[in-house]
Amino acid sequence: MRLRAGLALALLCLLAPLARAIDAAPPLEDPVQQQRYIALIHELRCLKCQGENIADTPALFAQDIRRQVREMIMAGKSDHEIIDYFVERYGEIILLKPRWSAKNAWLWLAPGVFLVFGGFVAWRVVRARQALLETDTEDVA
Amino acid sequence: MRVNRFWLPLVGFLVLAGVFFVALKRAPTGGGERLVQSVLIGKPASAFTLPSVLDPAMPVSLADFKGRWVLLNVWATWCVECRAEHQVLLDVQREGKVAIVGLDYKDEDPAANEWLQRLGNPYDAVASDPEGRVALDYGVYGAPENFLIDPNGVIVHKHIGALTSEVWRRDFQSRVDGAS
Repeated sequence: MRLRAGLALALLCLLAPLARAIDAAPPLEDPVQQQRYIALIHELRCLKCQGENIADTPALFAQDIRRQVREMIMAGKSDHEIIDYFVERYGEIILLKPRWSAKNAWLWLAPGVFLVFGGFVAWRVVRARQALLETDTEDVA
Repeated sequence: MRVNRFWLPLVGFLVLAGVFFVALKRAPTGGGERLVQSVLIGKPASAFTLPSVLDPAMPVSLADFKGRWVLLNVWATWCVECRAEHQVLLDVQREGKVAIVGLDYKDEDPAANEWLQRLGNPYDAVASDPEGRVALDYGVYGAPENFLIDPNGVIVHKHIGALTSEVWRRDFQSRVDGAS
């Protein structure tokens, strides 16, 4: 019994750091606003630590961005206005998902192009092998 | 035809290697700095008024420097690179071609004052931005960052990271001299 309690305690201690939220600010009163806030901070890139989003980073920079997003939501700004505010200052790199624009089109279209091209090559290879197989059987026969 | 097929993967590989090589050569050190650089250039520097680090009762306003070239230097006492940069700022001040406005970023005034007393004060004015609000407006995400603002109040250049005398001459002074 004692052992079990000890183990439970040890486990709790191990898990405790996970529960410590990076975002220390209390949630917004309006649940809809809070939801928008959460969505927005997941869309923005932390420029100080570029692989991460603003939501999951304890960096000071991310704290400032979160505060700004929160304040803009409370001031009644739309998601679009908030995103634009950051893009105007930091450039499109602050968006984790690139925008659909003429400049970015290749970025969005490239996977499709590669897929079609790869599919074509695969089809050619398979067909070539099939042709080879047929000649093989003919030889055996 | 046979020879063609044989070379195709090699050619593909060489093209890809070439692309990677060029991309790698062009990539800035220290993480995508150049990608962030260009947005505010050519736009008017946003106006701000903040308390002075030297005397909180005295407001520092960018508008006070209208008509002069301004070097807006974002710095902090916790920033190691800013220390290396400090001597360059003192040299620039001695040349007297631009006004240097400091933006003390997410810092404490007493620490900043101590720093300026110990290392010398290169600034015409130092604004205190403890919460980084003005810095955010300038698209700052670290210190040091340097902005060159022309006499009309337009941002003409931005340098992320510490100013060296070489960077100053090449990217800042040349622009000031070129315009006059």
